[in-house]
Amino acid sequence: MELSSIKDAFDRVAKKQKLSSSKSQEVVDQVGREIEQALATIQAPNGPSTPVDQKSVLTDLKSKLNAIVALKQLEGPQKELNLSLSKYQKLLEKYFNPDISKAYRNVDFDNHIVNQIIASHFYRQGLFDLGDSIINEAGVLDLTALRLKFMEMHQILEAMRVRNLQPALTWGSANRDELVKIGSNLEFKIHTLQFVEVVQNGTRADALKYARTYLAPFAHLNKDDFQKLMGCLLYAGRLESSPYSDLMSPAHWEMITEELGRKFCTLLGQSYQSPLSVAVAAGVEGLPTLLKLANVMAAKKQEWQAMKQLPVPVELGKEFQFHSIFVCPVSRDQGSEENPPMLLPCLHVLCKQSILKLSKNSTRTFKCPYCPAEATVANCRQLHF
Amino acid sequence: MEMDSLSNGNNTTATASTPATVSPDSSAATARATPTPPPSSTGPQLTEALKLEHQFLRVPFEHYKKTIRANHRAVEKEVSAVISGVTDAASADFSPDDAVNHLNSLVSRLQGLKRKLEEGSRAENLQAQKCRARLDHLESADGENLSEWNSTRLKRILVDYMLRMSYYDTAVKLAECSNIQDLVDIDVFQEAKKVIEALQNKDVAPALAWCADNKSRLKKSKSKLEFQLRLQEFIELVRAENNMRAITYARKYLAPWGATHMKELQRVLATLAFKRDTECATYKVLFEAKQWDFLVDQFKQEFCKLYGMTMEPLLNIYLQAGLSALKTPYCYKDDCTKEDPLSQEAFRTIAMPLPYSKQHHSKLVCYITKELMDTENPPQVLPNGYVYSTKALEEMAKKNDGRITCPRTGSEYNYTELVKAYIS
Ligand SMILES: [Zn+2]
Repeated sequence: MELSSIKDAFDRVAKKQKLSSSKSQEVVDQVGREIEQALATIQAPNGPSTPVDQKSVLTDLKSKLNAIVALKQLEGPQKELNLSLSKYQKLLEKYFNPDISKAYRNVDFDNHIVNQIIASHFYRQGLFDLGDSIINEAGVLDLTALRLKFMEMHQILEAMRVRNLQPALTWGSANRDELVKIGSNLEFKIHTLQFVEVVQNGTRADALKYARTYLAPFAHLNKDDFQKLMGCLLYAGRLESSPYSDLMSPAHWEMITEELGRKFCTLLGQSYQSPLSVAVAAGVEGLPTLLKLANVMAAKKQEWQAMKQLPVPVELGKEFQFHSIFVCPVSRDQGSEENPPMLLPCLHVLCKQSILKLSKNSTRTFKCPYCPAEATVANCRQLHF
Repeated sequence: MEMDSLSNGNNTTATASTPATVSPDSSAATARATPTPPPSSTGPQLTEALKLEHQFLRVPFEHYKKTIRANHRAVEKEVSAVISGVTDAASADFSPDDAVNHLNSLVSRLQGLKRKLEEGSRAENLQAQKCRARLDHLESADGENLSEWNSTRLKRILVDYMLRMSYYDTAVKLAECSNIQDLVDIDVFQEAKKVIEALQNKDVAPALAWCADNKSRLKKSKSKLEFQLRLQEFIELVRAENNMRAITYARKYLAPWGATHMKELQRVLATLAFKRDTECATYKVLFEAKQWDFLVDQFKQEFCKLYGMTMEPLLNIYLQAGLSALKTPYCYKDDCTKEDPLSQEAFRTIAMPLPYSKQHHSKLVCYITKELMDTENPPQVLPNGYVYSTKALEEMAKKNDGRITCPRTGSEYNYTELVKAYIS
C-alpha cells in the first residue's frame, strides 16, 4: 500500500463531509423557507382574518414540514460519511503501526533528567529562548554554565558566518594548549582564513606581516600548508582567479566553521552531535525491529520487561556504531575482558573460550574451523580493538 | 560494568565441531521472525520509519471526527426542536400576534443554527486541511530533504512531550519558531489544558463536562474516570463536613456505579463515619492532596486514548528504543567516546533499566578514525595485538616514512610488520 492511496481515501472522506454539511444547510434553509412563507401568509394584509384560518396555515406548515422529512434527509449523507470515516481509520490502522508503545518497557523515565537533556539540546542548537523557557516551565536544575559555553560557541560560529574571525581567533589563542594536546591545528587554520582575507583585501606588506606574526609560529608543524599559503602572496588582490581560489570559497569557510564547532565541543567534553538527536534517530531506526520482537514475545510480557539483553540484533546505521563489538563466529559470544578475541596463526579470529574448547583446554593442536590450518593455543595472540 | 550480563546463556550448546556452517543462535527462534534489513539503503528504512507515524495522522483525524459529530448533533437537535415547535403551534390556540411571535422565534433559532453550521463547517474544513497537511508531510520525506525532515520529526516529538507534560509555553514557542503548527497538536491539547488546570485547582466541573461530552466513547472503553471524579467530589463534601449533602450526592451520582464498582463505592462511603483528620490509613489516603494528581493522570490517560495517542510520550518511546539499541557494556566505561549519547551521565541513568543490545556479527570501529572496519577498510593487527583500520595505518605510514606508532601503547613498528585479520 502506498501513502497516495491513503490520501485518496482521505479525499473521499473530505468529499462526503462537504456533501453532508451542505445537505444540513439545505435542510435548514428548506425548513426556514416554509416557516417564513407561513409567516408571510399570516402577516399579509389580506391574510387569515379568523383564528381558524390562522390555525389552518399552521397546520398546513406542519404537514409541509413533515413532508420534508428533514431528519431523514440528513441521515443519508451522514451514514455515507460515517462509513468513509471508519474505512479511513481502518486503513490507517492497517498501514501504520497503531501502537508503537508495544515495545515500551514499563520503567519510570525520570522526567527531571529528560527535561535537562531537552534544555541542553536547545542550548547546544543555539535555541537559548527555548532552553530558558523549558527550564522555567519544568523547573530544571541549573544549566547556566553550559548555557554560557554554548552561547560563546554560537557567537563565534555566527561571527564566522559573516566572515568575522575575531571571536574565533580569541578563542583559539585562549585554548592553544588544549588544542595542541588533542592534536588539532585549528588555530593555524583560523589564522590561514584571516591571512587569505588580508592577502585579498589588504596590502602585500600587511599580508607578509600577518604571516610572520601569526602563521610562522605554526610553520614547523604545518610545513606543506605554510609553504602553499606563502604562494598566495603572488596573487594578492586576485585570489579568486588563482589556484588558491578554494581557500576563500564558502565551502572552505563552512568546513573550518564546522571544525571549530567540533573542537569547541571536544574541549567542553561534549559530543558534536546533539546526543538527544542521536538517541532519537537510533530509536526511529531500532523501533520497527523492537516492535516486531515485542509482537513475537507478546505472550511473554514478563520476560520482555525483565530481559537483560535483547534476544535479537537491532541493526543501526554506521553513524551509530560507537564501539568495537567482536562476536565470535563459533560461539556467537560477544568478546569481553574474560573472553577476548584471539588471532590464530592463519589470521582468523575466534574468542578465547572457543579456542580453549577446540584445543581441549590447550592440551592439543587444533584445526581452524575456517581453514585447515593447524594451531596451538600458544601461537594464538590476543587482539585489542 | 560486568561483561557477564552479556552472555546470553544459551550458547553452551553451540558446539565447536560444526562452526563452519555458522549455525544460527540456538535461542533464535525469535530472531528468525525478525529479519533485519540492511541499514544502508534509506528506502525501506524510511518506509519503516513512516509506519511509526500513526499518531501523527490519527490525532487530527479524531479531532476532525469530533467536530463532525458535534455539528451533526447540533443540526439534529435544533431542527427537531423547530419542527416540534411548529407542531405545538398548530395545536395551540394562538392569537395572531402570538403565532407571529412564535414563528419569528423559530426563524431566528434557525438563523442561529445556520450561523453555527457555517462556523462548524469552517472548522471541519480547517481540520480536514490539517489532516491533509500531515499526509503531505509524510509524503514529502525523501532522500534529499531527509536530514531536515528528521530534524522536524525531533521537534514534533519534543512538542508532543511538552504538551503532555503541560509545558505549553515552550511547546507553542518551539512550534512557532520552527513553523510546524500544522504538524503538532497544540489545539487538541488546549482542551486538555482547561481540564487539567481546573483539576489542579481542585475543581472537577470541566472534567465532568468533558466526560459528558465524550460519554458514549468513554462508556465503550469502560472508563471509570467520571466515577473517580464523582468520588472525589463526594470526599470534598465529607471533608467540609457537609454530610447531608454528601449523602444526597452519593445517591444521585455514585449509586449508579454501584453495580460495577461496589467495593470502591463502599470504601468511600465509609468515610462518612470518619472525619478528614482520620488516622485510619485506608481512609486517610482518600483525603490526601495527591488524589488530585492521580485524577490528573487518569484524565490524561483517557484523553490520550480518546485521541488515539500512545500512552507514553513519543519521546520516551523513541529514547527507550534508541538507548536499548545503542547500549553496550563499553558505553559505561571511562573511555567511551563522547559521540555516544551513553557517555553522558543523564543518558546512562535513563538507560540503566534497559536491556543491552545484541550483535550476531562483529562490528569493529577503528580507534583512530572511528570508521567502521569492513572489507573495504579491513582491520590490521600490529605485533602488539592492537588493531586499527587500514586507512588509518596507511595514512600514518605515509606521513612517517613507513613507521607506525601505536596510539595506545606508544610502540613503534614498520608498516610491513602488520597483518590483516580475517573477521567474519
Ligand atoms: Zn583459519
